[in-house]
Amino acid sequence: MSLLAIEETNQIQPVTAPVAASARNATKLYRTGETEVRALDGVSVDFEQGRFTAIMGPSGSGKSTLMHCIAGLDQLTSGSVSIGDVSLSDLNEKQLTKLRRDHVGFVFQAFNLIPTLTVEENIKLPAALAGTTPDAGWLATVIDTVGLGDRLGHRPDELSGGQRQRVAVARALAAQPKVIFADEPTGNLDSRTGGEILAFMRSAVDEMGQTIVMVTHDPIAASYADRAVFLADGRIVDEIHSPTAESVLNHMKTMGD
Amino acid sequence: MFKLTLRTLNANKIRLALTTFAVVLGVSFVVSSLVLGDGLRNSFGSLSEEIVGGVDLEVEPQSDFGSAQPLDEGLAATVGSVDGVANAVGFVSTEGIQPIKADGTPISTVGPPMIGMSWVDDSSLSGFTIVDGRAPASGMEFSIDEDAAANNDLVIGNTYGVITPAGRVDMDLVGITRFGESNATLGAVLSQYPLETAQELFIREGQLDSVLVRFDDGADRIAVQAAITDILPEQAVAVDQDALLAEIKADFNSGINIFNNILLGFAGVALFVSIFIIANTFAIVLGQRTKELALLRAIGASPKQVRRSTMLEALIVGLVASGLGILGGLGLNYGLRAMFSALGAELPQSDLILAPRTIIVALVVGVGVTMLSAFGPARKAGRIAPIAAMQDSIDAPRQSDRLRNLAGAAVLASGVAVGSFGLFGSIDGVAGRITMLAVGAILTFIGLTFASPAIAKPMISTVGLPLRALGTAGTLSTQNAGRNPRRTASTAASLMVGLALVTTAMVVGESLKQSISETLASEVKADYISSSDEAINSALIAEMGQSDTFSAVSGYRYNEIKVGDDVTGVMGGDLEATGLMFDIGIVDGQLVNDQSQIAVLESEAADRALTVGDELAVTFPSGNTETMTVGAIFSSTTIVDEKYLIHNEGWLTRFGDATDWWASALLADGVSAETADATFASLTEMYPQVQFENRADFNESLESQIDGMLVAINAMLVLAIVIALIGIANTLALSVFERTREIGLLRAVGMSRRQSRRMIRWEAAQVAMFGSLLGIGLGLVFGWGAVTALPDSFVSVLAFPFANIALLVAICAVSGLAAAAFPARRASKLNVLEAISHA
Ligand SMILES: Nc1ncnc2c1ncn2[C@@H]1O[C@H](COP(=O)(O)OP(=O)(O)O)[C@@H](O)[C@H]1O
Ligand SMILES: [Mg+2]
Repeated sequence: MSLLAIEETNQIQPVTAPVAASARNATKLYRTGETEVRALDGVSVDFEQGRFTAIMGPSGSGKSTLMHCIAGLDQLTSGSVSIGDVSLSDLNEKQLTKLRRDHVGFVFQAFNLIPTLTVEENIKLPAALAGTTPDAGWLATVIDTVGLGDRLGHRPDELSGGQRQRVAVARALAAQPKVIFADEPTGNLDSRTGGEILAFMRSAVDEMGQTIVMVTHDPIAASYADRAVFLADGRIVDEIHSPTAESVLNHMKTMGD
Repeated sequence: MFKLTLRTLNANKIRLALTTFAVVLGVSFVVSSLVLGDGLRNSFGSLSEEIVGGVDLEVEPQSDFGSAQPLDEGLAATVGSVDGVANAVGFVSTEGIQPIKADGTPISTVGPPMIGMSWVDDSSLSGFTIVDGRAPASGMEFSIDEDAAANNDLVIGNTYGVITPAGRVDMDLVGITRFGESNATLGAVLSQYPLETAQELFIREGQLDSVLVRFDDGADRIAVQAAITDILPEQAVAVDQDALLAEIKADFNSGINIFNNILLGFAGVALFVSIFIIANTFAIVLGQRTKELALLRAIGASPKQVRRSTMLEALIVGLVASGLGILGGLGLNYGLRAMFSALGAELPQSDLILAPRTIIVALVVGVGVTMLSAFGPARKAGRIAPIAAMQDSIDAPRQSDRLRNLAGAAVLASGVAVGSFGLFGSIDGVAGRITMLAVGAILTFIGLTFASPAIAKPMISTVGLPLRALGTAGTLSTQNAGRNPRRTASTAASLMVGLALVTTAMVVGESLKQSISETLASEVKADYISSSDEAINSALIAEMGQSDTFSAVSGYRYNEIKVGDDVTGVMGGDLEATGLMFDIGIVDGQLVNDQSQIAVLESEAADRALTVGDELAVTFPSGNTETMTVGAIFSSTTIVDEKYLIHNEGWLTRFGDATDWWASALLADGVSAETADATFASLTEMYPQVQFENRADFNESLESQIDGMLVAINAMLVLAIVIALIGIANTLALSVFERTREIGLLRAVGMSRRQSRRMIRWEAAQVAMFGSLLGIGLGLVFGWGAVTALPDSFVSVLAFPFANIALLVAICAVSGLAAAAFPARRASKLNVLEAISHA
C-alpha cells in the first residue's frame, strides 16, 4: 500500500488507521487561589498513525494543555491519554521520561536546541540520552531531507531561525517516534520560512509515514494538515478534514473568534 | 533607584545569602583574630602589672651582646644605702625547678615553665602574698603557689624533694603563696626559696639577677633614679616602673603580635578568595538581569544610575555581611581557642573584647571587599545598551578577551620575574627572598586569574575527556563547564589560591622531613638525642656523663661573641664528644677538649683568612678578651648552625649563663639498647621534662612535629577552600537558574532526572579539577621556590609528597561533586513545563 493510497483512503474514510496517540475524557483543572480554570473539559480525540493533525482554537482554549498532557509533560486531573497502546496514567516519572525519549518527538515555538551542541549532536540527542546510536541509514535520510548536510558541525547560534526549526524537526524525526508534537512551530517565523518548515513536516508525513500533531492558530499553517481539530473553552467543538486556509478561516468566523 | 535596589535585593534572597556567606566567613576570621589578640593582650597586660607590682625601680644587668652578666650580690646593699631608697632586695630566679610530689613523681607541666625564685621579703616589692603558713626564711625551706600546691597535693609541714641545677635536695614546705590578685600563673609552677638557698641551688652563689627597689614615700623619683644610676657599675642599668612595665608588655606583645599576624594572614587569604566569588556572583546576577537593566536604560535611566544602583546593592550586602561577620567572629573566637587547645596549645583565658577598632576594621574590610568585587560587574551593567531589552540573547555576548589575556600575561610575567629575582637575584637574607617570593606569588595569582579564561577551555576539555565516554550527560557537562570560560576561571580561581597554598605547605613540609632523614643518616652518629625544647638540667647531663652506658655525652648551648668588630653567634659543646657524635664536615684540624681552642666555619675562615693553628682574639659578654687558637675548620651548618664552635668548659665565666638547650649521647661499645632504656628510665624519673629518643624515634617525632604544623596551617587554609567550594555551589546554582529553559528542553526530549543531576555534578567536578590542577601546579612551583629560598641548613632536599597530592586532587573532585549537590537537585527537580515556557 503506497503512502498516497493511505492518504486517499483517509480522505474518504476518516478513522481507519491504527491510533498513534489518543485522549479519553481528558479533563484538566488549574486552581489558582480561589479561582478554578477548566483548561480541558472532557476531551476525547484520536490521532491516527501517519497523519498530520492541526489543533486549532483561540488563545486560552487549551491547545497547549492538551498537547502537554498527551505528550506526558503534564498530568490530567481526570480521564486518560495514551501513546500507542500505552496508557500514560500507569507510568511513573522515570517511565514517562523514557517514553518521551523513545516514542515522542517535540518541536517548540522557540528554543528547541541545546546551544552547546552542534546541529548533528542536537539531532542525535534523544538517542544519545538513551545511550544508543540512531539507525545510520535513517539518519542519513532525515539529514538529507532537512537539507542541512553542510551545517552538521555548526552551533545553533550560527543558524537562522528557520534553519533552527528544521533541525528541531529533524531531531524529532531522527528518533522515529510514534508521534511528534509541535507547539506553534512556525509562530516565530516569517510566512515564507514558516511555509518551508510546514512543507517539510508535510513531507515527513507523506514520505516517511510520520505522525504529527501540531498546535497552531494560523489557518495557513493548518491547511498543511490532513485534519484540523477545533478547541474552545477546553472542549473539542469541531473538526474538518483536508482543511484549506479558506475553510479554516470560515470555521473560525462561524465560531465567532 | 534606592527603592529598586532594595526590591532587587529582596527578590534575590538566596543568591544574596550565598554571596554574603563568603564575605561573612572572611570578616568573621578577621574579627576573631582581632578579638583573640585583644583578649590576650589584655590578660597579659594585667599580668604584666601584677609582675611589676609595687617595684619603683629595678636594677638589671646589661650587655652589648650575648647574655647579660649577673650582678654582684653586694649591689643590693649599695643601692639600699642611696638617699630616698626605702628598701632594695636582691632577686634570682631560674626555670626548670621541679618539686617532687609525695608519691615520688616530680611535678611536670606541658608547656608552661616551672620557675624557682628567691623570696622577696617586702610586700610591695614581692608579687606574692602568703595565703597559708609563712614565708621561707632560711635554710631548706620553700613555699609554692596555691594552684600548684592544690593540684599536686602539697601540704605545709611536709618535706619534699626538689630537682634543681645543683641536684636533688630535700626541702620543707612552709608556705602557700598567691601570685597577684588571683594567682594567674597561666599554668606555670612557681616556688620560692630564701635568697641564699636559691643562689646555691641555682648555682648563682654571690650573684643576683636583679635588685628590686622601693623608694621612700614622697621621694623625688627622678633624683633617686639618677643617684642610683651614678653608683651602678658599667654592666648594670636602672629601669623605672614605667619602663619596666613597657618592657614586659612589649615582650608579651611581640609574641601575641606574631600570633595575631599569622591569624590575620589566613584571614587575608580567605578574603582574597572571597573576592573572586563575590565578583562572580554579581556578574552572573547582573547578566541575568540584563533585560531588566536594559529596560531601565530604555525608559531613561542613565548608565551612572544603573552603576550606582549596583554599587548600592554591594554596599548593603557588604554592611549586612560585616554585621554578621562580627557576630560570627565572636563565635569563631571560641572555635579558634578550641582548635588551639586541640592542637595542644592552650590559650590563657581572657575577656571577650570587641574594640571599636575591630568593628571599624570589620566594616571597612567587609564593605570594601564587596564593593571592590562589585566594581567590575557594575561598570559592565552601566554599559548595557537599551537595545538589549529587545534582544533575546541566551549566552552572554562574546567579548574580546585579548586585552584581558594580555594584561593577565603581563602580570603573570612580572610575578614570575619578581619570584625569580627573589630566588636567583642578589638578595641577602632569607626574609628578603621569601618576601620577594610571596609578592611574586600574589602577582602570579592575579595574572593567572586574568589569563586563565584563555586556558579554561582547553584544560576543561582535557580534564573532561574521560567524562565524554560516560554519555551525553558527561559531554554536556564538559561543554557547560567550557561555555563561559571567564566564569569557570574565576570560580576555579578561588580554589586555585587555596590549593596552591596548601600544596606549598605540603612541599615544604615533605622537603623538611626528607632533609631531616638525610641529615640523620649522613651527619648524625649519636644514638640518642633530647627532644624537648626546655632548658636541660645540667645535673642530668653530668649524671649521664658519669654513666657507663654512654661513651660520649654532650649538652649544647648558644651565645654571642665579638670577633674583630663583629658580634656573631657561637655554639658550645663537649668538643670531642661532638666530633664523635656528628659529622660536621671537618675540613682541617680536629676537635679536642681544650677551652682555648675554637672551631671555625669554612666560609668564615676564608673571610678572615684563618687556618688551623692561627690565633684569634675573641671578646666574651663578660667583657674579657681572650686569645684563642683555631683548632678545626668545619663545613656543615646542619648541626652547628653558628660560625663558631667552642668547648663547654669555662662557658659560665665567659657568658654568665650556661643553659644547655639540647643534648646527645653515644652508646658505649657492647651496651644494649635495653640497658640504655633502663638508664633513661631511671633518669627520666628524676628529670621528666627531658626526653631522649633514639634516632628512629627522634626522626619520627620531628616528622610528627612537622605534620602537626602542617595540620595547623592546613586547618586554617581549609577555610579558604570551603569558601571556594561555596563559590562553586553558588555559581552553579546561578548557572542552573540561567539555563532553566535548556534543562527543561533536555528533560522534555528525554533526559532523566538522574542524567540531569549527573550533568551538573560533573560540571562542578570539572571546575573543581581545573582549579585544583592549576592550584597544585602553582603550589609545586611555589614549594620549589620556598625550598630553594630557605637556607640549606634548614632544608637541603626538595621532595614532593605525590601520594598526598593525588589524594588532595581526589578530595577536591569529590568536594566539587558535593558542592554541586544543591544545584544538581534543583536541576533535577525542575518543572519541565514551567521551564520550557520560561520566558
Ligand atoms: N500553569 C497554569 N496555571 C493556571 N492556569 C493555567 C496554567 N496553564 C494554563 N492555564 C490556563 O488554562 C487555560 C488553557 O491554557 P493553554 O492550554 O495554554 O491555552 P492555549 O495554548 O490554547 O492558548 C487558559 O485559561 C490558561 O490561563
Ligand atoms: Mg499555547
